[in-house]
Amino acid sequence: MKKFISAFVWIVIAVIGAGALAAIALRRNERISATWFVVAAACFYLVAYRFYSAFLAAKLVALDDSRATPSERNDDGRDFVPTNKWVLFGHHFAAIAGPGPLVGPTLAAQFGYLPGTLWLIAGAAFAGCVQDFVILFCSIRRNGKSLGEMARDEVGKRGGFIAQLAVLAILIILLGVVALVVVNALKTSPWATFTLAMTIPIALLMGVYLRYLRPGRVLEASLIGLALVLFVVVAGQWVADSASWASVFTLSGVALAFWIIAYGFAASALPVWLLLAPRDYLSAFIKAGAIFSLAAGILIVRPEIQMPALTKFIDGSGPVFAGKVFPFCFITIACGAISGFHSLISSGTTPKMIQREGHARVIGYGAMLLESFVGVMAMVAACAMQPGVYFAINSPAGVVGTAPDAVAATISGWGYHLDPQTMTNMARAVGEQTLFNRAGGAPSLAVGMAQIFSSTIGGERLMSIWYHFAIMFEALFILTVLDAGTRVGRFMVQEMGGRVWKPFGQTSWMPSVVISSAFVVGAWGYFLYQGVIDPLGGINSLWPLFGIANQLLAAVALVVATTILLKMGRLKWIWVTLVPTVWLITITMTASWQKIFSGNARIGFLSGASAWAAQIAAGKIPAARLTEIQRTIFNLRLDAVVTAVLAVMILVLVLEAILRWTAILTKRSEAVLHETPYVATQWVAGAEGD
Amino acid sequence: MKNAFLSFQHGLRRILERIREWCGDASYERYQRAMARKREPMVLSPQQFYVQQLERKYSRPNRCC
Repeated sequence: MKKFISAFVWIVIAVIGAGALAAIALRRNERISATWFVVAAACFYLVAYRFYSAFLAAKLVALDDSRATPSERNDDGRDFVPTNKWVLFGHHFAAIAGPGPLVGPTLAAQFGYLPGTLWLIAGAAFAGCVQDFVILFCSIRRNGKSLGEMARDEVGKRGGFIAQLAVLAILIILLGVVALVVVNALKTSPWATFTLAMTIPIALLMGVYLRYLRPGRVLEASLIGLALVLFVVVAGQWVADSASWASVFTLSGVALAFWIIAYGFAASALPVWLLLAPRDYLSAFIKAGAIFSLAAGILIVRPEIQMPALTKFIDGSGPVFAGKVFPFCFITIACGAISGFHSLISSGTTPKMIQREGHARVIGYGAMLLESFVGVMAMVAACAMQPGVYFAINSPAGVVGTAPDAVAATISGWGYHLDPQTMTNMARAVGEQTLFNRAGGAPSLAVGMAQIFSSTIGGERLMSIWYHFAIMFEALFILTVLDAGTRVGRFMVQEMGGRVWKPFGQTSWMPSVVISSAFVVGAWGYFLYQGVIDPLGGINSLWPLFGIANQLLAAVALVVATTILLKMGRLKWIWVTLVPTVWLITITMTASWQKIFSGNARIGFLSGASAWAAQIAAGKIPAARLTEIQRTIFNLRLDAVVTAVLAVMILVLVLEAILRWTAILTKRSEAVLHETPYVATQWVAGAEGD
Repeated sequence: MKNAFLSFQHGLRRILERIREWCGDASYERYQRAMARKREPMVLSPQQFYVQQLERKYSRPNRCC
């Protein structure tokens, strides 16, 4: 009887989910409610978790709860700490959920809601969650080894080297891009700039409190910090209203870029307890609160989706970024569906803290489903605003111009009606001077969130507070990624430098700290500066580059996973990781090829550079802009080289992996697994650890 | 009624404990328990433990995109 009820419930969930998905996919020319998105995603995730992840756990990797995990074998109260399943789920989710699932879907909304939503839901269930889960399992079975170490042991030395290079490449490109998102959100906005600037002294105060006054009392320090942050969000309005103070915090894109570069250097070189860690605590609390509030807001308000299912820009002529829906939708969404960066978390702290192998299912697979759900909510927030408004905020000046009437005429000409007065009213409602040309995704997401929040609490009156709260929330945790990433990059550079000259590898030696920090900050700072001065807004060239680098790392992780599964004798189920690997390689290589060689000057880096060069040769560029355009040409060629290097890395890795797989399958080489030997757990089920 | 109140109080306490574990508030207590389990002497003060823990945590990728 129990079995029958269970089967009935799951059939009902599947039917409701299929119905909601069909409603999203098949309705044309009529507005649909956001509720359909929430229901479709939730039902799909439930079914995927219940059945697909159970299949992965039982058949693919055969999780074994009788086996002692690294946290039990090495319990030292520091790195290896047995941790409650749900606490670790929270840790893991907080680590994997960054700005990517918010910004990526917002940018991909230019294709319409359908392609992005389908990829978010299906991509997560069949690719992203699989990657996170299998890599977590592999790392647990290898005493918590990192992805690079596993690649070296299981695929080969070249595989390990490529993994390490890919991590550094993705870090640098990622940091440059997310910093650009912050710059575009803050430029010429004294309110937002003041609010974010004030989080630095608040974090310093928390740092001193946690280090000297109440060591390790994170909860109380975070609550104090949270109260102060909410206060400065409100106080920002007073700053914006004061003529003298507003001018201090009204900064251009270039000025903001230099401030952020200086901040990144300071956060990397200063003691970690002073600025980086307290900011991270603050960010984690605000992130959790904002994401749950957005989910609740969408469920309460149930906004109507105004964006069509498909826009005309699936043909590649999009104003936000150029490129056809295939492959650029999949490159753009990135973290909400699959992110290579997650494999670093799944082979970092999490495997050292997990209590039972069985917990890997909810932590590895389940946390990624939740991240995908965040991506779906971001898509809803972006698509719930008028398409004309969405394109006005996200289109760079180089595409639509700067004068309100000209922007409105261009966007209306695309078939998405826009009245300039609508934008003026909206900017006034959110307390900004203008919302035009804010490419990057953050301001449009903040407008979407503010509309949803203000429909729940406060109405129009609180719209500006909600908008700046949303901007602060996005910028705060982007900066957390920035400073944590810069520090990790610094350690990687020190480690590599230490191989050449030993003293450089000492992580606390000040000259090494300063040089390596300056190197990492200089590298991502260059990409940031390039984006800020780019006539097309920077996002057009840098976000796809980030997407390619991120998916490259995912391909590395999936190749490692496939190799390990092959060695484990799971040939029958190898499609589970092989199909997403092939898909990722296909989209990454296609996107790389188009970004380098496309004849369309907005897509191809080389043709973009040639088009500018031709304009210079024809004397169409005024002398005052000559240096700027020459720099743009250099940057486009540099981006082409970076993309080519990433593509070659994928090809080398794939070749290496195919040789290894062939050797294993033809029995020319022995399938040696580098698992730690089996040790039976000493814990009684349900009473283990802490 | 009293039982319901007690179980509510118990549930609330458990939630608070989990939040403390999640945000790192309870890390030193866990370290103390681990040392006691292994019968090893406590070598780190709360301040030293806090700083060392942060140094380790932020020397590897721990925040994603």
